[in-house]
Amino acid sequence: MSTATATEPQQSSAPTDIVRNWKTPVILAVLSVLALLVFAIGAPDNSVTFRLSAPNDALVLPDIVLSAVVTGWVTAVLMLAAAIWSFRLVRSGRKVPGWLVAVFAILFIVGFLTWVVGSARTPNVALYGLLAGSFTLAVPLIFGSLSGVLCERSGVVNIAIEGQLLFGAFSAAVAGSLSGNAFVGLAAAAIGGVMVSAVLAVFSIKYIVNQVIVGVVLNVLVSGLTGFLFSTVLSSDPARWNSPPRLPIISIPVLSDIPVIGPILFEQSVVGYLMYIALAIIYVGLFHTKWGLRTRAVGEHPKAADTLGVKVNRMRFMNVLLAGVVAGFGGAFFTLVLVSSFGRDMTAGQGYIALAALIFGRWNPLGAFFAALLFGFATNLQYVLSALGSTVPNQFLAMLPYVVTIFAVAGLVGRARPPAASGVPYIKG
Amino acid sequence: MKTSLRNIKRGTGLSAAVLGASALVLTACGAPPAEEGGSGSPAAEATDYRGCIVSDSGGFDDRSFNQSSYEGLKMAEQDLGIKISEAESQAETDFGPNVDAMVQADCNMILTVGFLLGDVTKEAAADNPETNFAIVDYSDPEFTDNVKPIIYDTAQAAFLAGYAAAATSETGKVATYGGMNIPTVTIFMDGFADGVDYYNKQKDANVELLGWDKKSQNGTFVGNFEDQGKGKTNTLNFINEGADIIMPVAGPVGLGTLDAVIEANADGKDAKVVWVDSDGYETAGKAEEFILTSVMKLMGNAVEDVIKTDTEGKFDSTPYVGTLENGGVALAPFHDLDAAVSDDTKSELETIKKAIISGDIKVESKASPQQ
Repeated sequence: MSTATATEPQQSSAPTDIVRNWKTPVILAVLSVLALLVFAIGAPDNSVTFRLSAPNDALVLPDIVLSAVVTGWVTAVLMLAAAIWSFRLVRSGRKVPGWLVAVFAILFIVGFLTWVVGSARTPNVALYGLLAGSFTLAVPLIFGSLSGVLCERSGVVNIAIEGQLLFGAFSAAVAGSLSGNAFVGLAAAAIGGVMVSAVLAVFSIKYIVNQVIVGVVLNVLVSGLTGFLFSTVLSSDPARWNSPPRLPIISIPVLSDIPVIGPILFEQSVVGYLMYIALAIIYVGLFHTKWGLRTRAVGEHPKAADTLGVKVNRMRFMNVLLAGVVAGFGGAFFTLVLVSSFGRDMTAGQGYIALAALIFGRWNPLGAFFAALLFGFATNLQYVLSALGSTVPNQFLAMLPYVVTIFAVAGLVGRARPPAASGVPYIKG
Repeated sequence: MKTSLRNIKRGTGLSAAVLGASALVLTACGAPPAEEGGSGSPAAEATDYRGCIVSDSGGFDDRSFNQSSYEGLKMAEQDLGIKISEAESQAETDFGPNVDAMVQADCNMILTVGFLLGDVTKEAAADNPETNFAIVDYSDPEFTDNVKPIIYDTAQAAFLAGYAAAATSETGKVATYGGMNIPTVTIFMDGFADGVDYYNKQKDANVELLGWDKKSQNGTFVGNFEDQGKGKTNTLNFINEGADIIMPVAGPVGLGTLDAVIEANADGKDAKVVWVDSDGYETAGKAEEFILTSVMKLMGNAVEDVIKTDTEGKFDSTPYVGTLENGGVALAPFHDLDAAVSDDTKSELETIKKAIISGDIKVESKASPQQ
């Protein structure tokens, strides 16, 4: 009885003989026909300016000026060619290479951007601002989804990312304000994240409560607790409780002078650099160390891991706590870097988007990283386009991040398989 | 083995219950209203009268319309000696239960704050004909005659702000964005757009407005009223596109705009903010030196008036409409940036204000209250 709680790992459903997977070519074909109709035939008759450098950058690049019609046709024809080639590849029994999909995606983005900016009232966009904003919006998502990776890879579903981010933001704001030191705030954010994690771990690992329910309850709990303290304590004396100092921006010499991406990637606060470090450590750790192997074993087949002497529940407990540290840093980004005070429910559902990025990225740290970047890009593109006076109604633009997700998940990512034991408690028996 | 498993399960149920219960207590939505008696207050006449308020998800400390409505109720508590009860909503799902809780608490007057509570208020008023309701920022022809809408022709004051911004902008570009595309938000943006247009016509200028197109009713919206980070990102987008005066119509999200403007100014740019709802110079708590002016809805007085009328038994359901004329809406002083606005502009603003009051200038918005 008690042993049945850990399921067998899922059987890999792909047989070894040739299966022709037509999904990718079909999606590419649909998208390229769409591109032909909209970007090429529907191209606005003007030229589009992409500004690459802010006026006060170290190295000012000239603006890129593209004719909307020419760009539309060139990208659409190239995309059609890629789609046709992918059909031929699949027919001869080969797979569509990943780089082809990537090239296709880039062509699509270039075509789309040129078309959509071209049809706006002002066909002139600051590309550096678009990218910088995208990256900023992605940072909390990246931390959130890395936290999710740590939990789910070791077999605990983490719906509480939202709560971890929010409590991290709250702790950072309060501790930072009281101590007057942003780094104390940063440490407090990590502790705050761990506190939420600890509740998640105790209830889902020790007391075997349904993990999804614990996660949801924790989110409501944190939202209520921080909201309550915000309106009673923090609002009564904002100068004392809710005006944390900002983390200083550290620019890395030379690297930060690279045009366009330099200021975005290498002029960060400590939290931004912690993100790179966390990403690298979690990626390398998960796939190239003993700890990672054990974590994945515990998440896929805890019984087997247990048989080999891995302490399953202790492993899970530690990883969930670690996830709290990561998400806590993400929370600190809100109050110590992005803005300068805590606000009620200021994470506004980003934790759930991080969860989507985690699934979209197939439970892989790098995948989650790129998925989060894509979400950030789609969100900021929506904002920038509406600022430029795009003719597309804002409700449609607001759907952009999610439409991108559907296309990406359905066509370009492939089947997402969660860790087999994710969400399944392990009872030794 | 079996017994131990059963023990675990029993523990589980209990702990889940404890966790769930504490979550409910802490969110405190729909919880019994906090009683705040008006004991010891001078006006002893109406002590049995209970005025109640239900916020929208912004909460009573949103530095915006929930807060100013709440302050209006607090003034009534002090001046009229009434008792008050309050229920703060965390999410849209709390609206119904909170209004119900107030009905249960025997309120004489229930004040609901915000467009989003419109439907809930309509239903509750129809179900409880003996209770009087007042709703801020929403009017509906289907309201029963125990509901008094308190609405604002905000576009009139926003028109002045648009004119002032257009006259002050150095880059020739100003911007606005909203929290959500709802009438109480877009009415600010419409008025602002008209003010910019009016300036262009008068001065044969070409000041551009980013983020809102009045004709297509289409523009930039964050999508919520909480995410300050997105407010900041949006504002930086506008500044990158050359705007130097930004009006956020998004409640607390506007605080993100203040942070963006602080950063932009530290970066050597010259960016300013037009605040909304209350005088941001006094309420926003930061970046006062960059707040050009504010489009104010003076809710406190209207709320107190409505309650006072009701305590005297003279309740009526004709909407209160705040205008420039009755002082329900107004443009805040320029405070620190007084020198940035030329004397000519100031006197033009006075002229325009008079023209709006007299009806010579018509400020029209799809979202304007129908009279």
